[in-house]
Amino acid sequence: MNDRERRDFEAGLAREVDSWLRGEPTRRDFIKRFGQATGMLALSGAVLPPFARSALAQSKMQLEDPNTPLGKAQAAALKASTEGPTDGSAYRAVEAAKQYSGVNLNMTYEAGLQALDPRNFSGPLWQDLTGIKSTVVELPPPDMYSKPISEHIAGSSAYDVLDLQPQWTPALADGGVIAPLDDYIAKYMNMADLEDYHPLYKALPTYKGKIWGFFDDGDMFALYYRKDIFEDPKLNEAYQAKFNKKLEVPKTWEDYAQVAQFITDQMAPNVYGAGHFRKAASPGNQFDFMQQFRANGGRFFDENMKADLANEIGVRTLENMKAANAASIPGNNELDAVSLWAAWLQGKIAMMYSWPPTGRMSAGYSQSDKAISFIPQSSIAGKVGYAIVPGGHPEHAFGFNKALAADSENPEAAYLFMQWACSPPVSLARCMLPYALRDPYRISHFKSELYGELFPSAPEYLANLNNSANVGLLDPIMPGAQDYQLSLDRMATSVWAGADPMEALKTAEAEWNATTENLGVDSQKAFYEEFLKLPGATPDNTVEKLGMAVQL
Amino acid sequence: MGDAAFADNPTPVSRRRLPSAARSDRRFKWLLVTPAILVILAISIYPLVFSIWVLFVNYDFQIPGHAYVGLKNFRQVIFDPVARYSLLVTVCLTATNVLIEFLLGLAIALAMTKTFRGRGIIISIIIVPLFISPVIVGQAWALLLQRPFGPTNYLLGQLLGQEVTISWLTQWPWNFVALVLADVWQWTPFMFVILLAGLTAIPPHVYEAAELDGVGTWQTFWHITMPYLAPMIALAVTFRLLDSIRLFDTIFIMTGGGPGTQTYTVSYYLYTIGFTQFHLSRATAGAWIFLILTLIVVVFLVRRLLKQEES
Repeated sequence: MNDRERRDFEAGLAREVDSWLRGEPTRRDFIKRFGQATGMLALSGAVLPPFARSALAQSKMQLEDPNTPLGKAQAAALKASTEGPTDGSAYRAVEAAKQYSGVNLNMTYEAGLQALDPRNFSGPLWQDLTGIKSTVVELPPPDMYSKPISEHIAGSSAYDVLDLQPQWTPALADGGVIAPLDDYIAKYMNMADLEDYHPLYKALPTYKGKIWGFFDDGDMFALYYRKDIFEDPKLNEAYQAKFNKKLEVPKTWEDYAQVAQFITDQMAPNVYGAGHFRKAASPGNQFDFMQQFRANGGRFFDENMKADLANEIGVRTLENMKAANAASIPGNNELDAVSLWAAWLQGKIAMMYSWPPTGRMSAGYSQSDKAISFIPQSSIAGKVGYAIVPGGHPEHAFGFNKALAADSENPEAAYLFMQWACSPPVSLARCMLPYALRDPYRISHFKSELYGELFPSAPEYLANLNNSANVGLLDPIMPGAQDYQLSLDRMATSVWAGADPMEALKTAEAEWNATTENLGVDSQKAFYEEFLKLPGATPDNTVEKLGMAVQL
Repeated sequence: MGDAAFADNPTPVSRRRLPSAARSDRRFKWLLVTPAILVILAISIYPLVFSIWVLFVNYDFQIPGHAYVGLKNFRQVIFDPVARYSLLVTVCLTATNVLIEFLLGLAIALAMTKTFRGRGIIISIIIVPLFISPVIVGQAWALLLQRPFGPTNYLLGQLLGQEVTISWLTQWPWNFVALVLADVWQWTPFMFVILLAGLTAIPPHVYEAAELDGVGTWQTFWHITMPYLAPMIALAVTFRLLDSIRLFDTIFIMTGGGPGTQTYTVSYYLYTIGFTQFHLSRATAGAWIFLILTLIVVVFLVRRLLKQEES
């Protein structure tokens, strides 16, 4: 060490010592702590995964008492998966999937109740049967569309099984986000199980001649009404005296508004004639408008793909919806689906139309599970009747397809899970879970004796859902569906707030045309024409009109 | 002796020692900041530069490819009546919110300058809303105001002796009243805290001198309190303005932007076209326009602040 080096060393040492005496962190401290942190990180790489795996692992499987209808359905699903029939889709899927034991499937589900099925039942059961683990990724509805696309663009292979709304299929199929299932179906599925789908739902995952998923949630609107009110002799007498006709469950939208107003006039504030989910940006307005507009004879686009909303039919539809609002529970225009259920279950409303869980909640079946304790216990169990919505053409609002992510690293294992979960015995058990929001969609669901034992009026409930599907209408399945529906929601809520219906219709029509032009008139026209071929696209093209109605 | 010896020739030692130590220090400093620079580049600068590319192409999940579209994305936003209306709503709501919050915050701060029993507890209670997420605030107010379950109309009815049937979340102008109410409830404490700090920093002798000179209460407030408090007022108003123009959470929860597009703010509008309709390039163009407009406000406010500091 020469003089200069010695001086440098001593000066540096002095600075270190001074810093240490002052309690300041020195470079040596930093390097030491950095080393410690790096060491900890390396160590944590080995130690943490078991904890992380434990935290992310599936919940313990929840199986019901085998003497209950749900317990019997679960036992039947287990038997079909392990013992057969050996040509059944559930058995075949399980047998083929065993070769993938140990892999993990990432599955997207709508956040909340929908995700409880794969967490508490189907995910753990699938793991027990095949050794394939699953991670449930809960997403709010907008993210169920955008996240798979983002991950596809990033090439992350983040997801294997996707829960998607049928209306997204064209965009996601064309974008390469989802993969067709035809080859897998030919290889593994019992084709009879495809025929078990109600005809309205069977074609929903089909696009450009290929199958892009399995339909998995029959979100059919239906009318739920209070039988005790409609059977009340005094009310019947008064109605007869006022309108010179019998008080009965309304068959037209005009009748619906009139009956609702009559009940409100007679029974408010104890009971109001109707209630609706009318809150802005909360799914409801667009579906309601689409079902009434089409039932009244309206069409969405003309031959040149120009929007065809601002006309006499549109005005009539909105005026009638306004009349129904006026006849409804106070605050009707502020209600979303859950708050409407709360009012209904407390007996404040005589009629409502909504998604199928309404029937199970009305009977008090859903509330048997603590996961669904955020809605009140039913005070109307045994008093509820079921009917097809007025106008005769209920909306199939939303619904879900199970689709295979094109970037999945385990596509065959993912496919096999989908085939198994949507197979008749397994899907029945899933639809019967009290906390799940999966609604019956297979013919075997509608005919199920076990489902029919869930609550006293379950057979009528199932029959009504089946009959509704026979005459039901689909949401438009085409790119831009979100834009078109958002415009309808804005239009409807502006009318509820006092806007002129025709002006609101013109605004919506202009927005629809802008959307169409933005996406390309010719391509949108091709998509729309493709949609019109589906059973349930229009009132002239329902399952029943096509001679495919399912009779139970 | 030693001191003198060092004083005689201090620089040559430094010159000889510094280059190697300085080089080492410089490298070490770069080593330390490199991870931070990389993180900033990755999560801030790269998306910003990427967004500039997105401005001029089609980046829409529903339209395949990323074709160059020139200024189309900007045109779509500028000529969208909903965009212009949402800007107006943002300006009006921001101005109303901040003005009310300032006046209330100042009034409460003036009331709290004097010490009295229970003052600490009252101040603690007043500032509680600051710690609550705006989403929770929106949900709480929605539950209070929503018909038919919220108790507000019932309580008002009891007070007024007649039935109250206001639709607070869907009926103009009550929906705006509800939004202002929620915002004022949450953010008045912010004004209060800053203004209270400013008031307690005013030297007491100034007030004593004014009292000796027989200055009245109003004159004291206007000529002593306000000038001393002005920098803090400017600071508090600046912070609140910049925060308030991003108003989103309470709109999302309480009104969903409705009825129609009546309560759309710019943030809600951008969220809708970006994450409900998935027109990402149009949303990016809107965000850049909004950023530039916000920058104008920011520059103006910062200059005012600096001017006050200089004076």
